[in-house]
Amino acid sequence: MAAAVTTTALSKRYGPRLAVDAVDLELPAGVVSGFVGPNGAGKTTTIQLLLGLCRPTSGTAEVLGRPISDPASYLGRVGALIEAPSFYPTLSGRRNLEVLTRLGRIDRGRIAEVLAMVELSDRANDFVRAYSLGMKQRLGVAAALLPNPELCILDEPTNGLDPAGIREMRAVIRGLADRGISVFVSSHLLAEIEAVCDHLVMIDNGRIVFQGAVEGLIDAQQTDIVATPEHASDAQTLAELCIAAERPARVEGGDVHVQAPEDWAPELNRRAMAAGITLRGLTIRRASLEQAFFAITEGSKSEREG
Amino acid sequence: MFGAFSSEWIKIRRRAMLLWGLGGGLFFAVLATIFTIERAVRTFNPFVERHGIRVTFAVLEAPDGLVHGVVDVSTLIGIVALCLFAGAFATEYSQGTLRNLLVREPRRVQLLCGKFLALASFIALAVVLEILVSCAVAFLLAPGRGITTSAWTSSAGLNDLLEATLHVIVASVGYGLLGAAIGVLLRSPGVAIGAAVAYVVPVEAIVVGAIWSNGDRWLPGQLLSALAHGGTTDSSYHHTLITLAVYVLLIAAATLMVFRRRDA
Repeated sequence: MAAAVTTTALSKRYGPRLAVDAVDLELPAGVVSGFVGPNGAGKTTTIQLLLGLCRPTSGTAEVLGRPISDPASYLGRVGALIEAPSFYPTLSGRRNLEVLTRLGRIDRGRIAEVLAMVELSDRANDFVRAYSLGMKQRLGVAAALLPNPELCILDEPTNGLDPAGIREMRAVIRGLADRGISVFVSSHLLAEIEAVCDHLVMIDNGRIVFQGAVEGLIDAQQTDIVATPEHASDAQTLAELCIAAERPARVEGGDVHVQAPEDWAPELNRRAMAAGITLRGLTIRRASLEQAFFAITEGSKSEREG
Repeated sequence: MFGAFSSEWIKIRRRAMLLWGLGGGLFFAVLATIFTIERAVRTFNPFVERHGIRVTFAVLEAPDGLVHGVVDVSTLIGIVALCLFAGAFATEYSQGTLRNLLVREPRRVQLLCGKFLALASFIALAVVLEILVSCAVAFLLAPGRGITTSAWTSSAGLNDLLEATLHVIVASVGYGLLGAAIGVLLRSPGVAIGAAVAYVVPVEAIVVGAIWSNGDRWLPGQLLSALAHGGTTDSSYHHTLITLAVYVLLIAAATLMVFRRRDA
């Protein structure tokens, strides 16, 4: 599959601070790619570089096969929501979109379509200053969708949205991917990214610490098998059995948490039975994206400090 | 560039822009016309001179008397343009809307020029309207004071009216260019407007009054004021035009360079 975005050793320095540090990125086309990292990790700067809003200090990048040194050659096929949505407060939502359609020579008919997509049609004629943050966010997504883009770059699109709005935004993003649009969505809310993305890029301190399939990342993390003996007094014995089998284990409450791959669960069951321990429960606890993120960033921090 | 021009006009049509951009100039133009006619004297004498009155009936009854008041306050009309341009450019930065604009029009020269031309066209229309209204006011008030208006409608009068209109438009757009440059440079509307007004009003006046008496031949604000008057005794029309053309080239080139190269 062709890449929607590729970067090679892309860096951006602001004074003494390296905001983006030799980033090599490859985002597959036609899927939703998540971009996660803590605040100040370099997400927005990377997005601004891809949109030609700032110049890289070094390195190169291509968006939809065109170099970022020539943003006019690809931005007509790109939609973007950058950081907090910024609009003219004393113009209506519709007029704000009209400013962009005229500027980008986009068919005005798209305004009604995108307003309907983000469910803002009934408030489209109100001044933007009367909009809630969530409505401004939705208007920002509408603005990004105006050119009917091949690539949609959304920077923190769920900021300020209520739970229902977040769910709708997820549906909008999935809908874009279903229509074959590549989506690059940044967020510091990992659960959001996990819910909506196929591909994931993790950034920390300006450096990419992971990129690949979301499933692959979670699978690569250590799973816990949680065994619950019928009698809580057997928990310590069971933990010792696991440790003897070179599987780290600890007792928490009446449960035994064993660090082992998923397919070791039957073996754990057999060993418990052999020791005369009856299990009341046996569950697999897979790492969440959040745990995976912290495991990776802690690892990279140790490497830097080491 | 037409996209940038046409999208800027949507913003120009906002109530606040019309109120300050058009209303401000209109206020000064009408007020100046009323004061000029109402305070004019039949003959000049030391008493009226002491009271700051400089206009006689004879001056107002000349072909260019119709726009005497407007031309006198052309600097104030120019300052309205200066603030409008400085605010319009700086607000795009401070509000964060510049990024949206650059995503839809990444060719920065076209974006800047389109936006500038749209604002310039608005200022030109505003000046025409201001002059038309002030002319109407002059025609209404003059007979009541016994000022003869026949020369105003002569061919020489119409010619002077057109010339004055053109000069005030060009001078106002010149002030606008200065405002645009300061807006792009400072990126904060409050700071940009404050700095622009401070430069044109007190700073240049202090420089000319206390430091460099010949400065009124060379400083941009002084030259723009001279242009609106069609040249002055200190700065001839041609000298004013040529020097301002050099300023326009330098300021426009510097503004374009900063706008193109700086991160949004």
